[in-house]
Amino acid sequence: MITFKNLKKSYSKNIVLDIDLLEIPKGQAFGLVGNNGAGKTTLFSCLLDLIKPTKGEVVNNEIEVRKSEDWKKFSSAYLDESFLIGYLMPEEYFYFIAELRGVRKTELDNFLNQFEDLFNGEILGGKKYIRDLSKGNQKKVGIVAALIGSPSVVILDEPFANLDPTTQIRLKKIIKKLSAEKEVTVLISSHDLQDVTEVSERIVLLEKGKIVKDIKTSKKTLKELESYFNKE
Amino acid sequence: MFQLISLQWKSFFRSASLAGNIVSKIMMFFWIFWSILMSLSLGVIHGTGTSILNPEGEKISDPFSWLNKEMIYIIGYMMIARYLFQKIPILNIRSLLLTPLKKSKIIRYAMHQTIFSIFNLIAFFYLIPFSIMLNLDPDTGYFNSSNLLMWNLSIILIVYFTNFLNILLNKKDKLVIIFGVVLTLIKILEYNNLLDISLYTESVFYSLYDTPTLVITPLALLIYIYYYVFNFYRKNLSIDTGLNMKVKDAKMTNYQWLDRFGTAAIFLKNDLRLITRAKRARSTTIMGILFVFYGFIFMAFDDLYGETMEFFGLFFSTAGFMFTFCGMVPSWDSKHYPLMMCQNITYLDYIKSKWYLGFVGTIFTTILSLFIYSYFGFYYVVVIVCAGLYNLGVNSYTTLWSGAFNRTAIDLDSNKNAFGDKKSFNSKTLLLVIPQLILPWVVFYFVSDSYDKFIGAYAVGIIGIFGIFLRNMIFKIILKTYKSQKYSTISAYKQTN
Repeated sequence: MITFKNLKKSYSKNIVLDIDLLEIPKGQAFGLVGNNGAGKTTLFSCLLDLIKPTKGEVVNNEIEVRKSEDWKKFSSAYLDESFLIGYLMPEEYFYFIAELRGVRKTELDNFLNQFEDLFNGEILGGKKYIRDLSKGNQKKVGIVAALIGSPSVVILDEPFANLDPTTQIRLKKIIKKLSAEKEVTVLISSHDLQDVTEVSERIVLLEKGKIVKDIKTSKKTLKELESYFNKE
Repeated sequence: MFQLISLQWKSFFRSASLAGNIVSKIMMFFWIFWSILMSLSLGVIHGTGTSILNPEGEKISDPFSWLNKEMIYIIGYMMIARYLFQKIPILNIRSLLLTPLKKSKIIRYAMHQTIFSIFNLIAFFYLIPFSIMLNLDPDTGYFNSSNLLMWNLSIILIVYFTNFLNILLNKKDKLVIIFGVVLTLIKILEYNNLLDISLYTESVFYSLYDTPTLVITPLALLIYIYYYVFNFYRKNLSIDTGLNMKVKDAKMTNYQWLDRFGTAAIFLKNDLRLITRAKRARSTTIMGILFVFYGFIFMAFDDLYGETMEFFGLFFSTAGFMFTFCGMVPSWDSKHYPLMMCQNITYLDYIKSKWYLGFVGTIFTTILSLFIYSYFGFYYVVVIVCAGLYNLGVNSYTTLWSGAFNRTAIDLDSNKNAFGDKKSFNSKTLLLVIPQLILPWVVFYFVSDSYDKFIGAYAVGIIGIFGIFLRNMIFKIILKTYKSQKYSTISAYKQTN
């Protein structure tokens, strides 16, 4: 379970995140939507202890992320290209992450097999370093790496952006499968309302750092969200 | 022209590493001042043919022909020094291309920036006192002032020729290494009286004095290379050329033999890949290893420098890799720093892995130095081992510790950029080195002064051994510093220059 308590982040006087309480139960597929600057990435960065909140605390599975590093054992994330190592080949990068997460080489090979569709023959066995892959392929590498070692908390920032339609559909399947396992908490942010409603059980709408809506996904959710953004 | 200057001004003052930049600018100023002072005094010393530091030492009987003879080496090694240290003019060319500034204006501005480089200025500061002293001294022969003036002009033109040549040489690591090896071989041949090429080049340089009209040759060369560089830039200065470099086929590497080293191996493997695949990391490593030869400079002139400086030179020989490559830790990971901070590894283990790299690298440079210097006697073995121990036991920590304040992101993919900064050496890391050298230097100086030079070296080595044993305690301090700097480091690395 992940808890954000009295979390506030401001740069000088500009408040970018202001959350009284947000609890995400274990196993939930959690979606985060909002316009640019709504605080989505900031929220994730606080959860990963990449930025220091001005106030408040973030607890991941009973571990306060600022006080202990133990959350690293069961959490993984892909926020942007800074989660890739450009001078490695995709395989080398996967092995590197696997080694850190204590996954054996044969296990990893089996694990990677299930993504054959997603990779579309362009990732494994190629002759390219990650830095030379297209933006979309880089993203595939990063997302798949975030799933290595069966983490129980997976955080993905804008996973669908920059991907071609086929890949988007395949990725959605993967995420749905992942969240079907009740042990895994998946946190996703997106600009695309349809994508995010499709894969999440619950959607939180951020606006200027504040929670505006907190919806349990149903058939009406997409309409509700669309009308909200249309209004403005 | 003014807009370009103001752009650079802004990039300096709005950069994440501003404080560091200012400090390094101040240090840079002292560095320049020091170089000028050294050139001036060397000009006087060589011009008169006597050393002020050591009046009893050997004298140069004919300074002018001496300089003409050495000129080929001076220019040659200056060329290598330029390649390693001199900054190639870099502007954020990609974004400037779409502005109404004329291409030729951008190029000229970039090229003219190099004119006042310290590498050119020291030539003036050396040659002027040299020529004056030469003319003042009746013993060294009577020189024709106007001929001497023309000779000076020719040499300066040659210096500027090498200045522009250096811009072209950018990226040509192999060529420069071959050049350096050839130059050293020639010197060795000369030293062993087998073949003295400098006798021939001496007459070439002397003819510039003898026949002043020959100044036309270096002048023509300079004009030629100026326009060559200009056209070279011009050709490469469009959005697609240079940006679309050919992608070489990648090859997988496993380095399974490293696996026996446990967690550290996971990172060592990546660091090896970094060194073999990223140009900047590679040239930095080569630099670090070349420092092994640094001790020779002081050994060759021990008349002039004495024991303490000789110790200093040998000390530096074992520290090269530590100061160059490890001096930029953790910037090598700057592009993927958030990944490192989120992976299943504690901050302590991460820092330790960086320390291991420096440790292994220093053992390597120490062994290499041993191979080279043990030839000269037992004392040198002692010095290398003790200096190595000190670097392992003290400087490995100080280098790592100072890395916590490292805010300069390194763009490893910059070879995609036609005029990216590929320089292996940044003046800031070099300047951080100074305090790290002072302590062993002081210890050696005082102990060897009151006992003898062996005991002086042992004293430095013993400090190092202490440091190695205090590892865990020191790591706690380093970790604390890194943790306190974590967030600002992450946000600084996000800035792409």
